[in-house]
Amino acid sequence: MTEEATTDEEQTAETMIRLEKLSKVFPGQDEPAVDDLSMDIYEGEIVVLVGPSGCGKTTTMKMINRLIEPSSGRIFLQGEDVTKVNSDKLRRRIGYVIQQIGLFPHMTIADNIATVPKMLGWDKERTSRRIDELLETVGIDNSYRDRYPKELSGGQRQRIGVARAMAADPPVLLMDEPFGAIDPITRDRLQDEFLRLQREIKKTIVFVTHDIDEAVKMGDRIAILKQQSKIAQYDTPENILTDPADDFVRDFIGTGASIKRLSLSTVSEIETADWPVARLTDSHDEVREKMRSSSRDHVLLLDEQNKPGRWVGKEEVQQDDTPLEESGRPAVAIVEGTASLYKTLDTMITSFKGSAIVVDEEGRYQGVVDFDTVLEATNAMHSSEEGREETAQDLQTGDDGR
Amino acid sequence: MTTRQGASAKGAVGAPRLLRYLGMPVFLGFVCLALYLYVSAQQLDSIEKRILNADFLFSRVIEHIQLAAVSTVIVVVLAVATGILLTRPGTRGVSPVIIGLANIGQAVPSIGLLVLFAIVWDFGFWPAIVALVAYSFLSILRNTMVGLQQVDRSTIEAARGMGMTKTAVLFRIELPLAVPIILAGIRTALIINVGTATLATFVDAGGLGTVIDRGIRLGRDPVLIVGSVLTGVLALFIDWLAGVAEDILRPRGL
Repeated sequence: MTEEATTDEEQTAETMIRLEKLSKVFPGQDEPAVDDLSMDIYEGEIVVLVGPSGCGKTTTMKMINRLIEPSSGRIFLQGEDVTKVNSDKLRRRIGYVIQQIGLFPHMTIADNIATVPKMLGWDKERTSRRIDELLETVGIDNSYRDRYPKELSGGQRQRIGVARAMAADPPVLLMDEPFGAIDPITRDRLQDEFLRLQREIKKTIVFVTHDIDEAVKMGDRIAILKQQSKIAQYDTPENILTDPADDFVRDFIGTGASIKRLSLSTVSEIETADWPVARLTDSHDEVREKMRSSSRDHVLLLDEQNKPGRWVGKEEVQQDDTPLEESGRPAVAIVEGTASLYKTLDTMITSFKGSAIVVDEEGRYQGVVDFDTVLEATNAMHSSEEGREETAQDLQTGDDGR
Repeated sequence: MTTRQGASAKGAVGAPRLLRYLGMPVFLGFVCLALYLYVSAQQLDSIEKRILNADFLFSRVIEHIQLAAVSTVIVVVLAVATGILLTRPGTRGVSPVIIGLANIGQAVPSIGLLVLFAIVWDFGFWPAIVALVAYSFLSILRNTMVGLQQVDRSTIEAARGMGMTKTAVLFRIELPLAVPIILAGIRTALIINVGTATLATFVDAGGLGTVIDRGIRLGRDPVLIVGSVLTGVLALFIDWLAGVAEDILRPRGL
């Protein structure tokens, strides 16, 4: 992904939410649920609060819109100290999505979405236009306007929940395990949809989950929280996966951190292997020449549009009577440049000779990657952090076969 | 008390519903017609004639309806308000006390309650009303509390999270969602009051109980039958009205 590129922007981006020494002690408890938490959330980023249950992540999120009043500390929204302002008015500026969605069963879909606009005193026409707009944004047909929530499926309800939260176009959205109660397939689709939506709307989003995979997928930055909302690590998913700050983070990420890391890089970011390429229209001699001049025992043949056609090997190309279009085997393990390394590796494993052909969105040849190139790339990811925490790195990469 | 709503919440739709709506009044009409024909066929003596005439019976029916209606209106206002208060945070301490009192009100036999109020206060309409209110208070209180408590916490949290004030949440979310259960409680209270108002005659508050009482005391079977049947017809008719009201007032989408 492009996180490396955007990190610089983020540092100059405006701070949307600032939490300053925030603490919460619930009445009748000795230990604080949230202890002295400070963090900055920049405009337009998705920050995921992730941690084991009971770590205080939901409490932390609910203090941002003051559904839970902090015991001490301060909250800033767009630079304004909102710790003491009217909490009802504050919440109308912050979208809120919860796992159970909480649609109002006795109100139509349109009325549900219109909740905040009505409170803000929008006129009917503006509200109605906004409802049309939002239904289109979340991909729900306009005919659902006057239906009731019980007539909708779980996924549809979740979409309406998101639409309702965005109704008055708040700059900030708080999402408490929004996809937690949905079946895995629908969840995956909703996550993708939401990420696509976020690219357009560019809200500042605080997202709570206990699922590290969801955090890695959704987050621009992830805050891994220990008990009492102590920040164990607050960084991009890439940095957290390649360089966990301590044993807690390492345990929390669990096994397969390196594999998860692969899903964050695209194949276009890594160097392709040096591979001999010829054309289907070339003569057998030309192909043999290409093969001789390289160390590889296979040549990739491209068609007129530069699309990968066939692989031919040393023996096959000797048979002059077989036309090139029919010799060797068809090139099938093909990935687009935007595919993640994870997907590329998956393709490679099932492919001939363990290599994948990279193409652009038109299907034109870009290069070939094999296990060696992927391994080199992952080593490069790790070595950038090496030396900082040598022993930890050794532990981490010990099972990677390095 | 709360079981009633289960049965009526899923109202039949279309033609069966219409039949349900029309069936009861038609049936009650036939019962009244049969009663009229029965009385017309009797040779009434002067005592019976003094009771079994339109004027006298009509006044008793009106008295009866007044007793039931006024007591129900008062108990709805009081019990729903109490139910709301007792489900707000901060009243947890008081709630068992109030429910205990309401329990006593319902546990004491209704005739005892009526006479007790008459002795310590006065005979007549208002003491009877107070007794009826005390007697039916619990059914509405309990249904109001249950109705408000069964509203999904996440729905309320979503509403609060979007910036609704506590009052707005109560009136726009909690109460509408509790309406079916509260209505069931009100219907129960109404039925209790229609039935118990029959006893109001013993504290000099009139009603159809007067007709039944005279029938027994004077040993006149036609009078007794007319009183009993009219009480039954009235109770069924009011229950029917309440059922229709429930269907109309229940929020859509539930």
